[in-house]
Amino acid sequence: MARPIDLIYSVDEVPPPAILIISALQHVAVMAITLIFPLILAREANLSENQVLDLVSLSMLGLGFATVCFSIRSHFVGSGYLSPAAYTAIYLGPSLFALRRGGLDLVFGMTITAGIIQLGVAPLLKRLRALLPPEIAGLVIAIVGLALASLGVRYSLGIDNGHAVKPKYIVVAGASLATMCILNIWTKGYGKMFCVLIGIVAGYAVSFGIGILDLSAIVPDSGVALFRLPRLDHVGLSFDVNLLAPFIVASLAATLRVMGDISNAQRLNDSEWVRPSFTSLAGGVSANGVAMIFCGLVGSFGINSYSSSIGLSGATGVTSRSVGYAIGMAFAILALVPPAAACFAAMPLPVMGAALFFTAAFVLTSGLQMITARMLDARKNLVIGFSFAMAVVADIYHDAFTAVPSVLQPIFGNGLVLGTTCAVLLNLITRIGVRQRASIKLAPGGINREAVEQFLSEQGARWAARRDVINRATFGVVQLLEVLGDPPDGIEVEASFDEFNLNVRVKYLGAPLDIPERKPTPREIVASEDGERLLAGYLLRRSADRITSRQSGDAAEVVLHYDH
Amino acid sequence: MNSALNIGQSHDGGVCIVTLSGRIDSTNANDLMSQLTKLILAGEKSIVVDLGAVLYLTSAAFRALLVATDEAERNAAKFVLCSLGGHVRELFEMGGLLEVFTVHPSRAEAVARLG
Repeated sequence: MARPIDLIYSVDEVPPPAILIISALQHVAVMAITLIFPLILAREANLSENQVLDLVSLSMLGLGFATVCFSIRSHFVGSGYLSPAAYTAIYLGPSLFALRRGGLDLVFGMTITAGIIQLGVAPLLKRLRALLPPEIAGLVIAIVGLALASLGVRYSLGIDNGHAVKPKYIVVAGASLATMCILNIWTKGYGKMFCVLIGIVAGYAVSFGIGILDLSAIVPDSGVALFRLPRLDHVGLSFDVNLLAPFIVASLAATLRVMGDISNAQRLNDSEWVRPSFTSLAGGVSANGVAMIFCGLVGSFGINSYSSSIGLSGATGVTSRSVGYAIGMAFAILALVPPAAACFAAMPLPVMGAALFFTAAFVLTSGLQMITARMLDARKNLVIGFSFAMAVVADIYHDAFTAVPSVLQPIFGNGLVLGTTCAVLLNLITRIGVRQRASIKLAPGGINREAVEQFLSEQGARWAARRDVINRATFGVVQLLEVLGDPPDGIEVEASFDEFNLNVRVKYLGAPLDIPERKPTPREIVASEDGERLLAGYLLRRSADRITSRQSGDAAEVVLHYDH
Repeated sequence: MNSALNIGQSHDGGVCIVTLSGRIDSTNANDLMSQLTKLILAGEKSIVVDLGAVLYLTSAAFRALLVATDEAERNAAKFVLCSLGGHVRELFEMGGLLEVFTVHPSRAEAVARLG
């Protein structure tokens, strides 16, 4: 694990108390944006103003509990990385559908069911890893980034069903976003670390100044107490087997998002990150399951990990797990303070939009980096290109997809779910015919470097191998061919791959290769071609993670092993 | 992938810049060695070899560069390398050759030092 240069506090480091608290509050402000989903549910369910505040308070408790679950490091629950939680649009369609069929009781019952499904899936993640390779995880993150940006633009411009842009919203969102960007790019230390929180505060101030901050809309006529234990009056539980399919699909999409987010959190802490730790991913998915059950029991909404917060920790360089615990504590306190619930519930839409748009940039580029670190052939290009396009199409032609059967609505009604489902299915289909072992025969009469380069490049793309590993292997084989010269019966190069290993076996007729341990001096290298051969052998030994040479009869072989 | 070696040559003030691109191996290392030696023997006193566009180089290429370094020393010429990219830099490190050559991070810096 190598520390990235932009990191200020890594996952295991504990920032000083002041930075810890302000970092946590910054995440709280960004996470609170997603309270809009339980609020939509409350509005659709026609809850009273007091019940709405209770639901918001309990939802804040859910955010805190879920963040601690995600961030904790234990054997069964928790990813071990700072991974704040959020209410998600993934569950909006299924939950509103459940609300219409059986009221809030059914929404909460099915939310618990989705949590149980995630708990069941978590231990199987490692076995499913071939179906969910890193480039697909990168795709999921990129789609989430795009979805966040799209939502951010909608809120920033105040676009409603009539598609009219609200000029006041542009002023607020512009001021808030400009504050975040200026602090993030041109300042260091506190300015950079707290750019989003300061931008949100600036957005509230401008909103107040131009008259679009309306606290009275959320506060009951009787007023609010300073401290109050939220009541569970609106909570009940029921189950409907007909709703199982949409909630299974939604929970699988949420699982993929957790995997993408936790992978991203791991990557932020390790500049040499190449693939996710499945123990951490499984802990993250289990945490999501436990948090879903909690949210169902306290009468809240479907919860997930939060890509925006991961983007925020990447932008600010504060990825300490302790921040997750502080977030949990902050939400637990705020849940007892109804004015806080009112304040968050009244967050102006353009302020939400600016924060979403800002963090989306970091989420999107993280996903793209994960995709482009891999070599991609036509199959992988189609899988990623089609799936990305379908995610966009689902949002553009949203109305056209309302005609699909209700059981498929959770898939076609949400860009993230449709894109992810496409990626997993297309990846499965296009794996047909991809051999994990391939070979090429090089005829005698000279070293055919072009053939070796083309062979390894094509195979690397077919396997979506890491570009840097294939480059090392190409060098290794070409260097080896130079050392072997021109064996009488030519040379066979066989490459085999799985996600963790690349082995290149070079077979020829002749004496076994002597691989020197000693590094030649510059004088020896210049003095004769023997010195150059010594250097060649030494480079071969150093460039591969393991090299073995053996002979059987007249034939000999050299195996170059590369960790992947 | 077009990986044949291309050798470009230009001058920036009194500094001769040799730009290499593609792969350098046993098939073309001698061409490179003779080109560099020719420049030194022609009286060039400051030579920068830009490796920024090199895909990889094998032991034959390292030998060519070491021979050119020796030749430059004999003729009181300055001979430096610049712009070693990720994989190429790794190969220099693996061979323990990074400290044998004078290496600058960029062409501009190399020219500024020699100019």
